[in-house]
Amino acid sequence: MTIALHASGLSVPGRLEAVSLDLGPGELVAMVGPNGAGKSTLIQALAGLLPAHGTVQWNGQALSHIPMAERGRLLAWVGQEAHFEFAFPVREVVAQGRYAWGDDCSGVAEAMTELDLTFLADRPATRLSGGERHRVGLARALATQAPIQLWDEPVAQLDVRHALEVMRLARRLADQGGIVVVSLHDLRAAYRFDRVLVLDRGRLVGNGPPHEVLTAGLIRQVFRVEATFVESLVPELPGD
Amino acid sequence: MKPRTAVPILLGLLVLAFLASLAFGELRLSFGQVIGALAGRGDDIARTVVRDFRLPRALVGMAAGAALGASGVVMQAFFRNPLASPGLLGVSSGGALGAVAVLALAPATGFAAATLWALPVASILGAFGATGAVLMLAQRGAGTERLLLSGVALNALLGAGTSFLLTTTAGHFEVNAQILFWLMGGLESRSWEHVWMGVPTILVTCLLLLPLGRAMDLLSLGEQSAQSLGVDVRRLRRQLIVLSTILTALATAVGGIIGFVGLVVPHILRIAFGPDHRRLLPYSMLGGAAFLLACDLVTRTFPLGLRLGVVTSLIGGPFFLWLLRRPR
Repeated sequence: MTIALHASGLSVPGRLEAVSLDLGPGELVAMVGPNGAGKSTLIQALAGLLPAHGTVQWNGQALSHIPMAERGRLLAWVGQEAHFEFAFPVREVVAQGRYAWGDDCSGVAEAMTELDLTFLADRPATRLSGGERHRVGLARALATQAPIQLWDEPVAQLDVRHALEVMRLARRLADQGGIVVVSLHDLRAAYRFDRVLVLDRGRLVGNGPPHEVLTAGLIRQVFRVEATFVESLVPELPGD
Repeated sequence: MKPRTAVPILLGLLVLAFLASLAFGELRLSFGQVIGALAGRGDDIARTVVRDFRLPRALVGMAAGAALGASGVVMQAFFRNPLASPGLLGVSSGGALGAVAVLALAPATGFAAATLWALPVASILGAFGATGAVLMLAQRGAGTERLLLSGVALNALLGAGTSFLLTTTAGHFEVNAQILFWLMGGLESRSWEHVWMGVPTILVTCLLLLPLGRAMDLLSLGEQSAQSLGVDVRRLRRQLIVLSTILTALATAVGGIIGFVGLVVPHILRIAFGPDHRRLLPYSMLGGAAFLLACDLVTRTFPLGLRLGVVTSLIGGPFFLWLLRRPR
């Protein structure tokens, strides 16, 4: 079974208009666009969490034909907002990622290590900072070991080091043959992805390698800012 | 506290409350006499008192308490809000209106003799009617917030209907008193008919609820994340609404309006033993049963004519306020 994410004519009235795209294994995909452009809507529609017109296929199978539990094993979604109303310990929230696998707990400890949560394992999820909550959500998605990962603004609330670690993780999951779609606002970070999707007022106006898509012209048209390509400060993880 | 200790503690409290509710009353019996009477020994009076009066009352109380405790857990997970309660979608106020309508119409129709069955049946019909109406009103997408607000609106509407009937019967003191008694909940003169009416269905519904605990864990932390992790959220939500409506409707039908049990019991147990629903559900059933029996004992022990709903609220109200003030 080949890992693939396909959408055609995907529409949500008033929010998303006829978006079609094809993503294949090994692709690290950035999704950018101004506030309200439809990034979260597209991610949710691709994840099958939102009623939408058009078709979505995972690995060549129509979404409506994939049983719920199987969906949980194929694709993981991380929302933009992470709120936990009940005081489950961090470890148990992350372990929920194994629900579709019969709660076998495999890979839970590794997922926590990956997101630097081991020291918070016993902390109630209700007593975490915004950035920590996001990392818990990401760890839970990672624990699913789903080959398709859709992350909605995963780094918006993270400090620079954790943000870089999350980006490195995304790259690694793609290199292992998965599909990772990450929405973000940092165009410079998006420039280092394999593919960039640009959304503007519900339409997909750019889809391709960053140097082809993120041109000064398109950035001016979509974001209404002037972009210049110069040297600047680039923080990186040591040893990368 | 360690979850391991929960079952022994709760079971112990329940057995204690159960034996006490068989022993205490106008005729004070020792635990030994109670056990003797249950086994069919001892004198006739003790046997009659225990087996024909106190036992059905205790069984109905336990079932109603377990139902309300479990229903509270379900609503709190469903709405992802620890302050949700079984009556949120109008189940209790619908049941109240149904029962009050029967009581108000009884003198006019010469219905009084039939009220033993008519009352609970009307209450169950009212309860399901109310939930059905909320679900229909909130339909399109049936988002959590919409459901909640529809429930609030319907609760107000049904409450107004009940108040209207209460004022129109103000001339009939006996009817009026009956209505008031019912609205404040109570377990006195519960018979074996009430046991058969409520207990078996409540028991089966509780058993059907138990396997849903794990999926409720995921739902309680977010609908969309639960669905993306493999929970069939639409199906789960439907099951939870139906099962919790059955529980609340039956508890109301056999015991009248009993507030705060569904809020307080899951809360205490969540704080003591953690939020895992696979444990919280059975704990809340045991805890709810024990709590309601204990409250019923208070109503019998204090000679002030305290009603069950008054006692649960007298304990529940201050607790609720304390919860609101407690730093989270």
